[in-house]
Amino acid sequence: MTQETAFYLLAIIAVLAAVTAVRLRNLIHGVFALVIFFAALAGLFLLLMAQFIAAVQVLVYIGAVGILLLFAIMLTERVTGDDGRRITSRGGFWGATAALGVAVFVLLPGIQQTDLNRLPAELAEANATAADANATMAPPHTVEALGKRLIEPYIITLEVVALLLTAALIGAVAVSQGARRVEDEEEASP
Amino acid sequence: MSWELIRDILITTVPLLVIFPSLFAFTTWIERKALARIQNRIGPNKTGVPCTRISLFGLGQPAADGIKMLFKEDIVPKGADRLFHLLAPIVALIPAMLVLCFLPLEFPWAKFVQAPVQAFLLDGAVIFFFAITGLNTLAVFMAGWASRNKYSLLGGMRAIAQMVSYEIPLVLSAVIVVMLVGSLNAADIAAAQKGYQWHLFTPWGLAAFVIFFIAALAETNRSPFDLPEAESELIAGYFTEYSGFKFALFFLGEYIAMFAISGLAVTLFLGAGEGPGVAAVPALSVAWFIAKIFALIGIMIWLRGTLPRLRVDQLMAFAWKFLLPLSILNILIAGFAWHVAKSGAGTGLKAVVWIASLITLYAVARGLNRISRPEAAPREYKYAE
Repeated sequence: MTQETAFYLLAIIAVLAAVTAVRLRNLIHGVFALVIFFAALAGLFLLLMAQFIAAVQVLVYIGAVGILLLFAIMLTERVTGDDGRRITSRGGFWGATAALGVAVFVLLPGIQQTDLNRLPAELAEANATAADANATMAPPHTVEALGKRLIEPYIITLEVVALLLTAALIGAVAVSQGARRVEDEEEASP
Repeated sequence: MSWELIRDILITTVPLLVIFPSLFAFTTWIERKALARIQNRIGPNKTGVPCTRISLFGLGQPAADGIKMLFKEDIVPKGADRLFHLLAPIVALIPAMLVLCFLPLEFPWAKFVQAPVQAFLLDGAVIFFFAITGLNTLAVFMAGWASRNKYSLLGGMRAIAQMVSYEIPLVLSAVIVVMLVGSLNAADIAAAQKGYQWHLFTPWGLAAFVIFFIAALAETNRSPFDLPEAESELIAGYFTEYSGFKFALFFLGEYIAMFAISGLAVTLFLGAGEGPGVAAVPALSVAWFIAKIFALIGIMIWLRGTLPRLRVDQLMAFAWKFLLPLSILNILIAGFAWHVAKSGAGTGLKAVVWIASLITLYAVARGLNRISRPEAAPREYKYAE
């Protein structure tokens, strides 16, 4: 009962915050609305018992992405946030139609195929039979289970991701250094 | 939602909300007194019991400060973003308060409590701690931006740059403890240091503690890293436009954050609530925990009275070119030492590893110090001669 209430509350907050983030004209307000959306999502993850994902959601999305967005806005001239200009967009109708189409024809059938719409008793029975088949497939709720998964079966994936991120980091440094050198040369030449 | 659950939550959280804010009042008094002594002043010595001549070394000062703050006029600048201006101090206080519940404080009355409240001792307590303390940056930026004052905004921008940079060495030095213990649970980390096997007493633990403490100073905007609120440069930085109760909330949030991060340092490196007499009287562990927090706060106050503020370029160079490589090296050393200890090596080999790691860490720190120091170029004046 309390869980359901919490779910609906968080879901409503998330949807409202997401819509606000898009609609607001003040960029900084928009970023903070986005942060509220991320926080509500972290709450939803906690409700699903996914502690680690919730913590990472806060750490990465609020702590890093949100702050980076603020950083990026600070580097522009719109720091003050007051801006009379607005993007006049047409085609809102077509966008809404497309979104509705995707929801009805792709998402809903997809959700229908999962276990979500089965009754709890039925689901428990199915789980029991599945548990007999492979007893090791317990859902990885805890941090420990997640860590073991990451290290044992998916170690190569993890290493490849790490390599990719390192390459991106070095690339970013190289790009910024290159830009500075060009600037210096331009300053030096005349 | 049963009544037992509500009762249990009250039993475990209300003490946190009572103990730490009252410690905050006491700490402001200690800080005033200590700074005054360092600067050869006397400090508060008149305020004591009201309507009498008893002064009690100025112990009434925190109460007087509090009353003054509450009665001050709340001024909001005309151009300010009123909503964000109001929200910023609240956003600053809430994460600081929230992370207190991840500290492994073993209150003597906690044994009357049923299991569910142990949910606070989450599996990933350390990760949650870092995730939630990171929110403080948002509050600082919010305050700086909403005030619509260039000094405030500069303070907020400095705060973001500083906190983002120092969060990395902070987390990397905590990683060592998590790696050695093999758990992110604060209670497990505390239990692993039983028998005075504190992580502080190993070379890698000592190095990690020092890095952690320095990064914690920067994260809580304490001097010598108080650039976001540098009085001589930015008036008061991001809370220039705050007065009255909102200012008090910022102040409270800052001190609670200091308690929280010191509490994490105590948990990770200083054996949590362990100390003489805990085996006989378990209730003493809370007292020891808080005493250790106060020892760290005392060092923070001492440093504030001693060190001058860093320049911005020194700040960044120190985080990225000194602390970061050193903490990465430290992780490698700790991993190596852990493997040596696990392979059942004798005392001789262990001693060799200890001494070698001490020498390596020291030499690398010296070398990095020499390389990473930004050279101060002669000042160029653009608009003056």
